[in-house]
Amino acid sequence: MYIDHHPILENHGNDQISFFYDGTPLKARQGQTIAAALMMNNIRKFGISRKLRQSRGLFCASGRCCSCFVTVNGLEHVLSCTTLIEEGMEIKPNTGDPDVRGGIHEN
Amino acid sequence: MKTDVLIIGGGPAGLNAAIETASRGIKTIIIEESYALGGQLKQQTQFFNNLPKQFDRQRGIHLMRTLIDRLSPLPITCLLKHKMIGVYKDGRIGIANDTETFPIDAKKVIVTTGAAEETDLFPGWTLPGVMTVGAAQILINRERVLPGKNALIVGLNSFSAEVAKQLKACGINILGVMDKTVSVNDKKLVEGLEDKKIRVMVNTVIERATGAGEVKKVTINNDGKKEDLDIDLICIGKGLAPILEPLEILDCEFGFQAKLGGLVPKYYSTLGTSNPSVYVAGNAAGITCLGGILLTAEIAALNALKALGVLNDNEVKVRSSFLWDELRSMESEESIETFIARVAHIKEFHEECELPLPASFHAILEGC
Repeated sequence: MYIDHHPILENHGNDQISFFYDGTPLKARQGQTIAAALMMNNIRKFGISRKLRQSRGLFCASGRCCSCFVTVNGLEHVLSCTTLIEEGMEIKPNTGDPDVRGGIHEN
Repeated sequence: MKTDVLIIGGGPAGLNAAIETASRGIKTIIIEESYALGGQLKQQTQFFNNLPKQFDRQRGIHLMRTLIDRLSPLPITCLLKHKMIGVYKDGRIGIANDTETFPIDAKKVIVTTGAAEETDLFPGWTLPGVMTVGAAQILINRERVLPGKNALIVGLNSFSAEVAKQLKACGINILGVMDKTVSVNDKKLVEGLEDKKIRVMVNTVIERATGAGEVKKVTINNDGKKEDLDIDLICIGKGLAPILEPLEILDCEFGFQAKLGGLVPKYYSTLGTSNPSVYVAGNAAGITCLGGILLTAEIAALNALKALGVLNDNEVKVRSSFLWDELRSMESEESIETFIARVAHIKEFHEECELPLPASFHAILEGC
């Protein structure tokens, strides 16, 4: 649920954006992380752990614990707590072995 | 990329260190893994009364603005969403973002990676809906999202008590702040919670948390009495431990100081580590208050500038001794044990290296 009237802070801008979670269109606020956008829509389970098949969601919200991985626009293993939501993003829960990406290497 | 100073972490320590180096015209790069600078200040709505002299009493989020405003006119490169992931054979630092990996060649590195929250293990602790108190604070203050409706806080300390009050002010029903200790020494902490009608439960542990897909129920053992509570949020507030991986990768030596958060890098009174090009500051140099975070950053930055030949010995000596004095007063006010542990940690490393402590430090030792 979104906090419209914060006890201390000024209200956020109300710019809403749309995104998709597992194919379902949902709304988020500009400037939120993916994790927060999901929780605002009452989605707390973001995936299942690889080995023990247990439910996973937001734990540290600081990019540290790796409990909140999701797939973003086809890219697996994205930390939902440190990635901002963008218009039209397609988010999917991480439910299996991720396809971990490589990188461009210099040197 | 080449730079004089590379700062790893853009929280309060990293920002304050960068202000010091960049204002001397020294080429400075900050790398920050988040999408914005500020670190944990981004969601800290609480007031900080005990800050160094050049800062007014202010809320964490406002202090973040102050630091960023001071930094923004200075020539500095901020690489957001970039992480340090390793060190090349020639000593250059490996940096990565989501798409590329590249080296940064830095003369001096200041590690200001901060701290991570500790967890508490009980059956069901990995269920969605169980999170750190810091995460709950991020959700309400930065994201404006209610993390749950009925919450239980595990671990009683000043941070968890503060967040419990903030969550309640946002309309979350706090069923209690529980701690396994039999009695709490800090009476003010308990009274502060009881004033806000928040139940404090000592000698209490979680036996298990359950729920399909997310936490729904918790069984607690309150002083030998079992109690089942319907909750959808458990916030774990078990304190902080320094984040050390970059220092490990940089081959820094470590020592153990329980009062500083456990394993901490060894460092001199300059905040220089066993790796001659690496300095450490903030919570990464031992868990401390915000004043301590800002001051250690300044001390590390000054000494890095001295090593780069930008500042002369005397200037650094005068300012360092002033800063150490301020650090003593800041840390002593929050917890004298922190300052004593820090001084012992430094003394030990100087002795180990057979490097005499600077004369100005003797006065500090006598004060302990």
